[in-house]
Amino acid sequence: MKKTKNAKALLSEYFIFVIFIALVIILTCLKPSFIQPSNLVNILKQASINGILSFGMMFVIIAGGFDMSVGSTVAFAGIVAALLGQGQFPLIVPLVVAMLAGLAVGIVNGVGVAVGDLPPFIMTLGTMTAVRGLALLTSDGKPVTGISESYKAVAATSVAGIPMLAIFLVIVILICSFVLAKTVYGRRVYACGGNLQAARVSGINTTMIRISTFAIAGLLAGLSGFLMTSRVTIGQPTAAESYEMDAITACVVGGVSMSGGVGKPWGVVVGCLLITVITNGLDILGVSSHWQKIVKGVIIVLAVLIDVKGKRKKN
Amino acid sequence: MSMKKRLLAMLMAGAMAVGMTACSTDTGSDPAASDSGDSGEGGAYKIALIAQHQTNAFQIAIAEAAEAKAQEMGVDLTILSADQDAATQISQIEQCVSEGFDAILFEPVDPDGLVDAAKSAADAGVVVINIVSACTDWENNGISAVSYGDNVTAGEVEMQHVADLLGGKGNIAILTGPSGDSGGLQRMEGYENILANYPDMVQVVSPADCQWDTAQAQATVESWLSAYDLDAIVCQNDGMAVGAGNAAGANSGIIITGVDGTPDGFEAINDGRITGTVSQNGGAMAENALEAAVTLLDGGTLETNEIITDSTWIDASNVADYE
Amino acid sequence: MEYILEMKDISKTFPGVKALDHVQLQVRPGEVHALMGENGAGKSTLMKILMGIYTKDEGGEILFNGQPYHASTPKEAMDTGVAMIHQELNPILDMTVYENIFVGRELRKNGLVDKKAEIEEAQRLIEECGLHVSPKETLRNLTVAQCQLIEIIKAISINAKVIIMDEPTAAITDREVELLFGHIRRLTRKGVAIIYISHRMDEIFSICDRVSVYRDGQYIGSGDTKDLSEAQLIKMMVGREITDVFPKLDAEIGEVIFEAKNIVRADNKVKNVSFSVRRGEILGIGGLVGAGRSELVEGIFGMHELSGGEIFVKGKQVKVHSPHDIIREGVALITEDRKGTGLNLTGTVNDNIAMVAIDKLLTHGLYNKSKARSASQEYIEKLNIKTPSGDQIVGNLSGGNQQKVVIAKWLLNEPDIIILDEPTRGIDVGAKRDIYLLLGKLVQQGKAVIMISSEIPELMGVCDRIMVMCEGNFSGEVTRDEFSQERIMTLASAIEV
Repeated sequence: MKKTKNAKALLSEYFIFVIFIALVIILTCLKPSFIQPSNLVNILKQASINGILSFGMMFVIIAGGFDMSVGSTVAFAGIVAALLGQGQFPLIVPLVVAMLAGLAVGIVNGVGVAVGDLPPFIMTLGTMTAVRGLALLTSDGKPVTGISESYKAVAATSVAGIPMLAIFLVIVILICSFVLAKTVYGRRVYACGGNLQAARVSGINTTMIRISTFAIAGLLAGLSGFLMTSRVTIGQPTAAESYEMDAITACVVGGVSMSGGVGKPWGVVVGCLLITVITNGLDILGVSSHWQKIVKGVIIVLAVLIDVKGKRKKN
Repeated sequence: MSMKKRLLAMLMAGAMAVGMTACSTDTGSDPAASDSGDSGEGGAYKIALIAQHQTNAFQIAIAEAAEAKAQEMGVDLTILSADQDAATQISQIEQCVSEGFDAILFEPVDPDGLVDAAKSAADAGVVVINIVSACTDWENNGISAVSYGDNVTAGEVEMQHVADLLGGKGNIAILTGPSGDSGGLQRMEGYENILANYPDMVQVVSPADCQWDTAQAQATVESWLSAYDLDAIVCQNDGMAVGAGNAAGANSGIIITGVDGTPDGFEAINDGRITGTVSQNGGAMAENALEAAVTLLDGGTLETNEIITDSTWIDASNVADYE
Repeated sequence: MEYILEMKDISKTFPGVKALDHVQLQVRPGEVHALMGENGAGKSTLMKILMGIYTKDEGGEILFNGQPYHASTPKEAMDTGVAMIHQELNPILDMTVYENIFVGRELRKNGLVDKKAEIEEAQRLIEECGLHVSPKETLRNLTVAQCQLIEIIKAISINAKVIIMDEPTAAITDREVELLFGHIRRLTRKGVAIIYISHRMDEIFSICDRVSVYRDGQYIGSGDTKDLSEAQLIKMMVGREITDVFPKLDAEIGEVIFEAKNIVRADNKVKNVSFSVRRGEILGIGGLVGAGRSELVEGIFGMHELSGGEIFVKGKQVKVHSPHDIIREGVALITEDRKGTGLNLTGTVNDNIAMVAIDKLLTHGLYNKSKARSASQEYIEKLNIKTPSGDQIVGNLSGGNQQKVVIAKWLLNEPDIIILDEPTRGIDVGAKRDIYLLLGKLVQQGKAVIMISSEIPELMGVCDRIMVMCEGNFSGEVTRDEFSQERIMTLASAIEV
């Protein structure tokens, strides 16, 4: 009796994973080439940048915030990396500077929200706009070309068949999961999002925690910018338009609560893969762009709906 | 979706405030701000150029060429950006009329939506000229001239080169700009005109809307290549062609083409990721429009009020001439 | 050293309000010291200053262990040795029991959270408290009382020298109160001082050694509880004498107006319970926390699925699928959790009062603000709601007045049957009395009242009849002439005894 109950609870908790597997099976039946190794590599590559952004977003949302600015930050950091990645410096320079640029944006967001007491939506909407302007300003509104071959190779190479981009993603996943699950800091991120007042009276420095989550989102957006430039081989001021929406979607689909305090890293991984697989699958099926939008919207809402219903059954 | 659009508009507005100062020297981000800027130029014509937006190389090229030309001709030029928003562009036109501009050159954000604003400006005695694309029924709506590169022709030139390179036979795929964009639709019309002559060139997948975006094009083409055997990928701009080229890799044997002739496109042509591009010389369009405006303001007449800038095919053989 | 904690001449001014005016407090090690006073007297403000949540005005001083004391954050206060159980429950609902207990001072091993040690320690603390929950359970799945106990466990486990308990028993039943008192006695034996804030007189006299009384931000006085009578204390608190704590108005008892038969909830938290109530009658529902009392009325009200049972209102059977179905028949439910389900705390008094009976406030189908305002004004006066105006934000009112706003909101809909779940939880003597009187007036008008309460004296004071529940079952019923605390307690724990 107890055992079946546990299995049920387990199933409902991991329901989104079941949905994901079902989708993979359906797509494979419709188009067998979907499951071929070359396409799986594609999916990994395509999921990487959104995945890294989603993990940053996850910290912010779990702590009760929200970040609209990561897309712009990717573009800005990407431009910075492209300007520094023309071969004049070792690659570590554009990488570090891009991440610092992202970190700076994140800290500004965090200070505005945690110290200035601005609603996260407004604060990050402001930086989203301003940082996009910064990206256009830095690049003179034009794509930045001429990045070095070694920089291009960062996103283009594979190690043992695994694309480098995916390796970056896996490293980010491992570090973030570890931090959230095992460290005191991670526990406090959940506490802040779960009940900010309670966290404060429990002696947690909620201001620092909240600032730090935005800083992490910024840092990872900076990393994404660096990788984005390598992947598309140019720095584009208009790149990563509305990527924040994809990152938020991955989080929500993966079970991160928009009201904060709830969310598991593995859920975000599945959420991110789910979105990528939908796009990739529809491309492979040759579905027209107009239909793709409809199908994508419907699948996302359905997935969350089924997930929520599945969870409710448990209680 | 509509929230996203609104956010986009807000973003653009903010971006432009910064962007404008970067790419034009004696201009403000709105006409009111330029009031103080025209001191000391006495009787020079006051001309406004209202771009659709200011966020890609093509638009920047237009602004730069117009500025250089204006200086050369001794014209007081103000450059504005409509941030892809028809309502913004309408109010900018109205503002320019009340500020007493002599001529307004603009690229309509929407071919129908801007007709009334253009007409009232013309009725107020302002010379109105369209650049890059034209308003619907422009001749009857007070617009004195248009200076554009014909998008249909550009599409035809691009697809014709693809057809020639393929020997009229093969699997092709098309990447488009945002669904509903008029420039994109016209290029598509050009593609279709050519494809009608080549029944053996088959579109094996539906055209994909990649929003002019490199990363999106790259992901779509990666996915396609794992499922389809493609001989050519025809893109409606260079940004998407670069994405397709990245997905396919250098010298992949797949013919990849774009439109625009932007620096990233040239770079990709040079290292063999894309085959070629059709240049629509935005700078020339702006220069021609300015010349036409001054001619009309001087009381002269134009040889033709539809000034067409040629589309040029650029590939590895001649790319060095354009960089 | 005589005192572990001394607060001398403490003042606190909020914009426009002098919340504390040269207030004193002296606490000895190992004593339980009660802070008494009506809501708004300044007890919570004084404690928040001690905890570093508020900063006191210039002047005055705090000595802890004879040393000058200053805390600018709760963490500093806790590090010094002062912990607090807040009146407003502060659980992190999506975290587990053990995570809540150790939030802010997580146990570490090699710099990482030592989950295993936390779970073991939490298990030990929970067992000591006589609570039966798994440390790994999520707080969302616990009852309010269980959450409250977790808060208490958390404060105890800090090993503070002074523990402030602000209304620690507001949501727990007598049996759990006894367990808590056991803990308090154990702590005081170790020399820990407890500052105890409560509105329950019986608790003050059974657990507290000394008491300090405050009124309107002023310090009134202190004394040993054994030298004080309840009447004296009330007089100090309210500044006038209150003779009857539980006023009971005479009302004519009429025909049965509401009947529930064989109610079974789909989640089995209520098993086959039947009851009825007559016009002019106040029916009490007693029992321990977790007995299924709230679950029963919420089930009847359509907030949870019922798997069996029939509901009759004024002789007519009502099929309830959602609260709307039964509100339409003239039934109102004033929930236990007034912040969660009863009020829009950021709305004004007027907005809140208009929420349920909005249909009555329309003109040509549109919301008529002036109608709402005058209706709201009527109830502000009728219920003696203390608010500067109807435009005041509800979140700024005291607990008692918030509760009155919730009641007003439902009364505006003119219900005939009013169900109240713990209506006097966490509110002061004066406001409680107002509510008892109000219930009396309602039944005088021929309405029926059903009231859930964990305070047996309250039930015995105001009800005509008390039905007792135990573990989801109906375990007995007592009429007013047979009321006795023992009888009710026995019924409440019937199945286990």
